[in-house]
Amino acid sequence: MKISVMTDILEANDRIAAVNREVFDKHRNLVIILMSSPGSGKTSLLERTGDALRGKLRLGVIAGDIETTRDSERLERYQLPVVQLTTGTACHLDANMIASALPHLDLSQIDILLIENVGNLVCPAEFRVGEDFKVMILSVTEGDEKPLKYPLMFRESALLLINKIDLLQHTNFNLEEAKANARRVNPDLEIMDISCTTGQGIEDWVSWLSQRYQWKFGT
Amino acid sequence: MAIARSILDIAIAPAEKEGAQRIIGVNVVAGELRGIVPLQLTFCFGLMSENTIASGARLSLEITPVRGRCRKCEETFIVEDYRYICPKCQSGDIQTVGGTEFRLRDIEVE
Repeated sequence: MKISVMTDILEANDRIAAVNREVFDKHRNLVIILMSSPGSGKTSLLERTGDALRGKLRLGVIAGDIETTRDSERLERYQLPVVQLTTGTACHLDANMIASALPHLDLSQIDILLIENVGNLVCPAEFRVGEDFKVMILSVTEGDEKPLKYPLMFRESALLLINKIDLLQHTNFNLEEAKANARRVNPDLEIMDISCTTGQGIEDWVSWLSQRYQWKFGT
Repeated sequence: MAIARSILDIAIAPAEKEGAQRIIGVNVVAGELRGIVPLQLTFCFGLMSENTIASGARLSLEITPVRGRCRKCEETFIVEDYRYICPKCQSGDIQTVGGTEFRLRDIEVE
């Protein structure tokens, strides 16, 4: 016997994400989720962002890692409110994990909440957590064909940060090809070249964040 | 793994409601943009379903193509190889109207 079901597979997750979103909106938080492969510079970007936003907008961080708490140890030096989620065997953060982290953060003291997803290009794109935007980091030490291999992630992102741009000359990464591939998958994608080492492009990234905050809350 | 878990949970609820003994098949529709790797998903589903009424069930995956709609001339077409260009008027202003769905369509039980 056949039973018709017709249920969205991620429905349970999306319901919780909608509740998270209400909580964020109530506290006037702009929420950005960062996605990338391991080692592309998510934690370095958080460090840079914390520095660049100081005195302008208050940053909070939720960091996802499979086993260790090393990322949050790195970030604590910057005196940012950080919650570390260790996901165990899971390769991504989902809405429920984010919901469980919220009581550990004073959201009323945060303007921009950056959620660092687990380094992985497949699963994180599938799970909404209540964010306003998804931002992707691709570093030049990876392949320029990545957008075509992991289309959903590029399709879902509003902004692509191409990191480690200072190393470009030492790699065979074709910058134009990478951008063309990314725009093929997502014609509306914004792209910025950045380096968390030299600071190149960080100002652009921070003004992108401030602008999105103003658009959302009109301040 | 989490996706396999989710599919399993969604499949078991209606089967139990109908008083089924066993789930023998689970049919999922996934848009191409989801980037689901069928072998990986069926493997995870096999592991997850052990010791449940869906143990040994066949998970079949229907991959649906990416569909675009031209915002200029309203032509709807299948987007191949991520070429978001209207075949009729060559416009690049294309809205994705299919290829991101991810649903459990039906289950087969006995």
